[in-house]
Parts: sequence; structure tokens; C-alpha cells
Amino acid sequence: MGRPETLENPATSLSEALGQPWIVVVHNDPVNLMSYVCMVFRRVFGWSRERAQKHMMEVHTKGRSVVWSGGKEQAELFVQQLHGFLLLATMEKVSQ
Amino acid sequence: MIFEISKTGNPLFSRIHPLLAGVLRSTAEDPWEHYPEGSARLLPPPGEDEELINDWEDLVQPELRRHFDSERVVVAADLLGMKQGRGKNGLWSLEIPADHSEAWLTTLNALRLTLAGEHSFTDEELSHQNPPDLSTARGLALMQVNFYAFIQECLLRALEENE
Repeated sequence: MGRPETLENPATSLSEALGQPWIVVVHNDPVNLMSYVCMVFRRVFGWSRERAQKHMMEVHTKGRSVVWSGGKEQAELFVQQLHGFLLLATMEKVSQ
Repeated sequence: MIFEISKTGNPLFSRIHPLLAGVLRSTAEDPWEHYPEGSARLLPPPGEDEELINDWEDLVQPELRRHFDSERVVVAADLLGMKQGRGKNGLWSLEIPADHSEAWLTTLNALRLTLAGEHSFTDEELSHQNPPDLSTARGLALMQVNFYAFIQECLLRALEENE
């Protein structure tokens, strides 16, 4: 095992490494069908039907659902995939 | 119109009235060309961060648009395979290859969102509370949105059954 490298900004790097600073949010849209939203969640996140339905209902009843949290790059990838299925998705930086 | 799974495992719509066949053909319309206002919904911003929005416009949105266009090309090719029966009513049928289902779902969704954006449909209108007034362009567009939703539901059901 090699020697650990020195971190210039340990706080930021640790935070990034832990993948905490961003969340992906899906917002309600009256046009998208509930069954379609469930299908998209299962395709993008590989969720069970039950978990997909839980988040879909949260979007439907509360207007939004946090579907993922982690690093910025992965958040961008998920938002892009969700936009590819035409869901209204955004990413937000979690306030520290 | 009847929906079933064909012997080869593909979603199959048959006994389609010529009027609905025409509506179905409209699925292949380019939303950016036909509905410049409504199509704005197809490429939403990824959030409020200005730098992120700029990157998104430069890098991601062109790629997404290419993706939607290529899905629409698949749908347009399938629509060319629609067949008209010989009966006096001239009913049509359409078989969609199972592996094209996602292209159809995306394209139908894009058009539904575009039409809804173009006509600013209310939640009440979209929830089928009242039948659309087919004597107006707005009513016809709402009928289209509902009809495409029916096609989506059928395709989603077929996908579920294949799992």
C-alpha cells in the first residue's frame, strides 16, 4: 500500500470524496403519467417497483422528491438521464 | 382501436380509425418546428446555478436534442409500416417492435409536453374532467394529449408484462 497523498484542502476533499454536496430533485409535472415516472425511476436508478412508486407518489403529492444525493458529476449524469426521459429534474447544492 | 401483444411479442394496435391514424402519424412531427413555444419545456435548466446552466446549454442540451431527434426518427420509420385494412372503413394497424417502445414513450411524452406547454393546459383540463371541445384548436390538442397518453399506457403495460 502506497503512502497517502497530502490533501491541500482536507475539508473540501473529504466532502467531495464522501459525495455529499449535491441532491437530485424531481419536480411534479401534470403531463407525465404516474406509470411513466415509475418506469423512468426504475430505469435510471435500478429501483424496485415499490421504491419507484414511493418516490413517484412523493412527487405527485408534495410537488418534489429528492431521488439521489452525492457528488456533482454523478448528479449531473442523473439529471441528464432524467431530462432524457423528459422528467423535470434539477440538482441543488446542499448547504453545509 | 384494439391493443394487444402480437404473436411475435410486439405491441400491436389494430382497428385504428383513419382519423386516429392521422393523429398517430402526427407523433413524428418535429416539436421544435411545429411548436416553438411549447418545445421550450423539452430542455429545462438543471437548477439555479448560473455556471451550471451555461454548461448545460453548451454541452448537455444539444446532446439531449440529438437524442430526442433520433428517437423520433425511429418512431417515424415505424409509422411508415402502418397498414390499412381492406374493409369499407379502411381501418389501420400498427405493430411497434418491442425494442422501440422506449423511443415511442419518449417521443409521445415530448409531444404531449410540447402541446401542453403550447396551449397552457390547466391541471383540470389534463385530468380529463371535461371532454375536449373538438371544434377548437385547443380542444383538438387536448384530445391529442389524451390519445397519446392512452398509447403510452398501453406500451407501459406491455413493458411491465415483458419483465
